[in-house]
Amino acid sequence: MDSLDGEEFDVIILGTGITECILSGILSSTQNKKILHIDRQDYYGGDTASINLKQLFEKYKKPTEGLDNGKFGRFRDWNVDLIPKLLMSNGELINILISTKVTEYLEFKQISGSYVYHKNGKIYKIPSTEYEAVTSSLLGLFEKNRVKNFLQWVSQYNFEDPKTHQGINWEKNTMEEVYYKFGLGNSSQDFIGHAMALYPTDDYVKLPCKECIERVILYSQSVAKFGPGKSPYLYPLYGLGELPQAFARLSALYGGIYMLNTPVSDIRFNDEGKFESLTIPQGTVKAPMIIADPSYFPEKVESTGKKYIRCICLLNHKVSSTDQKDSLQIILPQNQINRKNDIYIAVLGAEHFVTPKGWNLAIVSTILEDDKAADPLSEIAPALKLLGDIEEKFYEVKEILKPKSDGEGDNVFISKSYDAMSHFESMTEDVKDVYKRVMGEDLVIE
Amino acid sequence: MSDRRKNILKIIILGDSGVGKTSLIQRYVNKKYTQQYKATIGADFSTKELELEDINGGKATATLQIWDTAGQERFQSLGVAFYRGADCCVLVYDVTNEKSFQRLKTWRDDFLLNSNVSNPESFPFVILGNKMDVDDSKKQVTTKQANDLIIELSKTSNDGAGAATNGGVTVSADEGSLQSNKNIPLFFTSAKGDLNVEFAFQEVARKALQQNQYQLSTSMFDDDEDFSNAINIRLDGSNVDSCQC
Repeated sequence: MDSLDGEEFDVIILGTGITECILSGILSSTQNKKILHIDRQDYYGGDTASINLKQLFEKYKKPTEGLDNGKFGRFRDWNVDLIPKLLMSNGELINILISTKVTEYLEFKQISGSYVYHKNGKIYKIPSTEYEAVTSSLLGLFEKNRVKNFLQWVSQYNFEDPKTHQGINWEKNTMEEVYYKFGLGNSSQDFIGHAMALYPTDDYVKLPCKECIERVILYSQSVAKFGPGKSPYLYPLYGLGELPQAFARLSALYGGIYMLNTPVSDIRFNDEGKFESLTIPQGTVKAPMIIADPSYFPEKVESTGKKYIRCICLLNHKVSSTDQKDSLQIILPQNQINRKNDIYIAVLGAEHFVTPKGWNLAIVSTILEDDKAADPLSEIAPALKLLGDIEEKFYEVKEILKPKSDGEGDNVFISKSYDAMSHFESMTEDVKDVYKRVMGEDLVIE
Repeated sequence: MSDRRKNILKIIILGDSGVGKTSLIQRYVNKKYTQQYKATIGADFSTKELELEDINGGKATATLQIWDTAGQERFQSLGVAFYRGADCCVLVYDVTNEKSFQRLKTWRDDFLLNSNVSNPESFPFVILGNKMDVDDSKKQVTTKQANDLIIELSKTSNDGAGAATNGGVTVSADEGSLQSNKNIPLFFTSAKGDLNVEFAFQEVARKALQQNQYQLSTSMFDDDEDFSNAINIRLDGSNVDSCQC
């Protein structure tokens, strides 16, 4: 066996989820760190992998006999995200992808539509421009104009130039006050706050409006970036599992050593309690620090008190009322469904090479509100109803974990679990957080 | 089934660590060779433009994108993403290392398993026996062994489907190059001695172009209005072209 016994590295990374792989790629390519990157599983991505249909059935303990070339087609034509998220075209992950040139290894397509649910049981395309506001059937006659005025105001808003503020002080005024100023009704507030600014709860309305304005601007710019009329979201061909692999390749190109299917044992600490070495079948390896996902150090992480439910649905039809679109995001704002947390639905299909032709994948997720409920699926019932007939579904409830400490004491730097949000902004925040804890300085993305 | 852009040909090179994959690419693309061995670092993928004859006998300009393993083969950790959308797979062994030769079948099988190509029975492979410059006494793999393997590989994957990809290859026997009767061509090369490298990659490119054109012609989305409107994004914001899949 190719031995690594006694070898020393600058950083050992455990787990190949997207957070760990981005950190590996950046530390290797820009900070010249010698990295050993290990995963116990025989595929890349950890919780952020995209798995094929056979792996999916096995994961949820369903029989796989006769699966290949049966009604679901070739099982390798499926690439199912365990954690679906979409990339905001103008968001921070895109900046990281471009600055690291990892875009070279990936191809993206736009998500065709971005929809919001109304308590009348229907879904509507989210109006993101003044023109769309005026023509949207989501809005009543008078509301159209009010939303149009709001979007116009946001599009011209310049934090530096008070003349564009129309009396709203972004440090002092809350979003509630902004809504009041423009006379926006509850359902407009819901799609602006939850489907454009992507807040999962209503806590933001009491906060200064700056962040919400920035998020609406990000949404609008993202819609405009690659041709308007579709959605602000991008998604990689073959699924999100391509992202960690692309960053792993970047790391490897700069000397990072990759070991899948490799169990880790005997993690040792020195007298000061700092990480010293660990053992793999190829020998004992050393490094001054370790970066890991929460699953490698169960004793060093704790619950955030939140659990999410995620349900993967296989559909042999398009979602209705979406003009036969192959890829969608649908957001069900909490108020519209009498909940405290939004429900997200990502719909993907053959256009992004994640299903065979004729099939669609819909992944529903939210934060669980009643974790004693006999049937957790009841919490996502309105979302499942929108999907129509479901050929097969798989769901799980999982705890969201975070590190107990910042890692300074033992030089073990642990990332957070991935949340139920439908986009990557919180994941990139975690990348920056771990980077700062490891390097002692901010991550600068050029 | 990949999102193909016309005449950009993705070539991937597989084989055990140390057989000379990177050196072969360097020799072909940059006309360089360095003695010093280091596991592949910093080399992204190499591109080379060349003019080729297409299936219809016309001239076509193609860009070869040659993907090195970035050392991820050392501990069997090439992810599936690496294999996506390949148009030709080059399998390399070291003529002085019998184990690297024995592993070719595994590499071929790994490729077929992970790439999920729609035509595994006719997908083009090219085999290179590298390091031919070394003294004959050090060579561990005979020409006969190599030929036998090719016949075996051809039997298990390329049976009866070669008509489209086996047109008119004639390789002269000089300099040790050799054309098997089956569909998988074998070349004896030396990146160090600049032996047969250019010649071998010409064949790789030709086969890749045929595969690319075959894929385009059988594309699963040919007649689909919805999908033809999809936008393909290169992310620099300036290049928004319509999808050609």
